[in-house]
Amino acid sequence: MSDKDTTYQVPIGPIHPALKEPFMINFRLDGETIVDADPHPGMNHRGIEFMGMHRNPLKVIPLAERICGICSIVHQHMFTTAVEHAAGIEPTNRARYIRTIMAELERIHSHVLWAGVAAHEIGFDTHLHFTWKIREKVMDLLEFITGNRVNYAMWTVGGVRRDITKDMYPKIEDTLTYYESLYTKLEDIFLGDPSIRLRTKDIGILTKEEALRLCGVGPTVRASGVKKDVRIDQPYAAYGDLELDYIIPSKFGYENTGDVFSKTLVRLKEVVQSIDLIRQCVDQMPDEDIDSEPKKAVLLNKLKKADGEGIGRLEAPRGEAFHYVRLKEGREELDNWKVRASTYNNLATYAPMFMGEQIADIPIIAACIDPCIGCMDRAVVVDVSTGQKTDYDHEDLHKLSVEKTKRMLGGSL
Amino acid sequence: MKKSKLPMSMDQIESYFKDNLKDSIRDFKKEEIKKGLKQRPMKLIWFTVDRKSFRRAVKLLSKIQIPHLSVTSGSDIGDHVELIYHFAVNYGYRGDEVSVSIKVHLPKDDLTIPTITDMVPGAITTEREKQEFLGITVKGIPDSRRLWLDEDFPKDRYPWRWDETGMEKMSRYVHDMDEAANTPTVKNLRTRGDDDE
Repeated sequence: MSDKDTTYQVPIGPIHPALKEPFMINFRLDGETIVDADPHPGMNHRGIEFMGMHRNPLKVIPLAERICGICSIVHQHMFTTAVEHAAGIEPTNRARYIRTIMAELERIHSHVLWAGVAAHEIGFDTHLHFTWKIREKVMDLLEFITGNRVNYAMWTVGGVRRDITKDMYPKIEDTLTYYESLYTKLEDIFLGDPSIRLRTKDIGILTKEEALRLCGVGPTVRASGVKKDVRIDQPYAAYGDLELDYIIPSKFGYENTGDVFSKTLVRLKEVVQSIDLIRQCVDQMPDEDIDSEPKKAVLLNKLKKADGEGIGRLEAPRGEAFHYVRLKEGREELDNWKVRASTYNNLATYAPMFMGEQIADIPIIAACIDPCIGCMDRAVVVDVSTGQKTDYDHEDLHKLSVEKTKRMLGGSL
Repeated sequence: MKKSKLPMSMDQIESYFKDNLKDSIRDFKKEEIKKGLKQRPMKLIWFTVDRKSFRRAVKLLSKIQIPHLSVTSGSDIGDHVELIYHFAVNYGYRGDEVSVSIKVHLPKDDLTIPTITDMVPGAITTEREKQEFLGITVKGIPDSRRLWLDEDFPKDRYPWRWDETGMEKMSRYVHDMDEAANTPTVKNLRTRGDDDE
């Protein structure tokens, strides 16, 4: 660094500024302005893929499920899809529909949760409490269907483990109506509120070109107008039977700017889409068994004899996620397993989004890709910071962010 | 052969690659998996390409559409390491997206592959990961620091390798823990099977 260089470094993390998850970003600042952002993941890497390569596929399902606490459905869904692909096993159609309903319920839960986190980052804690309160309703429904609030233990190779029976439909419909009735209020709070607009408009911009070049995924890139959605592009589960369209801001009369505001918009509109998709599924659900091979010993034997490789690819609430599985004949354990969560691909999009923004905007931009570090990291690492560095902890940053909102509102909050 | 209009069909993609890459392409496989009541297919293409033509294959792919790289997976298969670049083309067209998985074999005595970050900037995360987990060298990578593993993780151990550079000697099983359990010193636990043998 030359004498004339006026920039200084600020490491943020391993306690994350936006979420209470271990992740570090090294910022280079010129005054208040960010000139470079260098993410350091890996604080949470526990070698799950390595563990999976020493277990049989059925034992990996609970392991895969625990990769993420919010989108636990995503990883079990992808893993089972990849194993089914590799071994040539077909799940029943009813199982496909049940999988779709579960995935969409989880999307509602994840997006509502995110909206609360985002509001908290810019100092609107009433919104946080409101969104997290209404999120309980879908959590209750998930518990009603599966018996668990998180880690649903619903998936198995060839189908699902629990049925969604006719007597459960009223309760599902009840939950969907509840969200519909509240949606106008939700949209009003997040998109109509002038002070939230001030903090989210033209902040953390990701252009369409950058989004495509950096292989970004999910609502993060759809907000920039990129039409990428695995549910539509390469339908899995029952999505091929359903009516759905890409959610991009221009569809609703907004510009595809790719800022935090459009990311919020995309996520909220996806809640409406999910409600619609669940209704379609409930209407069309075929009457069949829920599992194509209920005898697990037979299934395990079949998997042992299987030889091949498979891909599981789906649209998680945060974007495309990917599993690759290779099975070898005569080997009970997986021969290879690669897990790729959505945040992994969105990591590269951080640098252009942070560029030129201010310290006080770090929390909301960090939160805007809806990062899930648990998913992305999978070994035990200690932070290595070198040289003279200024340290901001989460509390300081949060205070800065809240103060910025206050300043913008002329001192009142 | 020139590329056709988007979305390209599986046959078009096949002839596009076969005409341009000729002999350096092998094991071409097309898959259609029909799903759901409407039997809408999920389309996949797999092929292996020689290492020297690998960058050309990616270049061809980027002429179709800005390539979407999902991830690179890698496995240790005896005398070589197999990398699979999982791309996707035709995104933005309902039901037409094709997963194009390009396999490259790297012999164990020369574990190098050229970078593709100049064509696909988003590949940086996965290229850094492959370097630390498989012990390969990505030539021309703009940032070769470790990504997930810590600095104090041994430099010559790679978690996804099955040979002597793998993790087998570093992991411990309960049934051969007796010795360590009887003398539970820090040194015993740390160096077991690693340096002392």
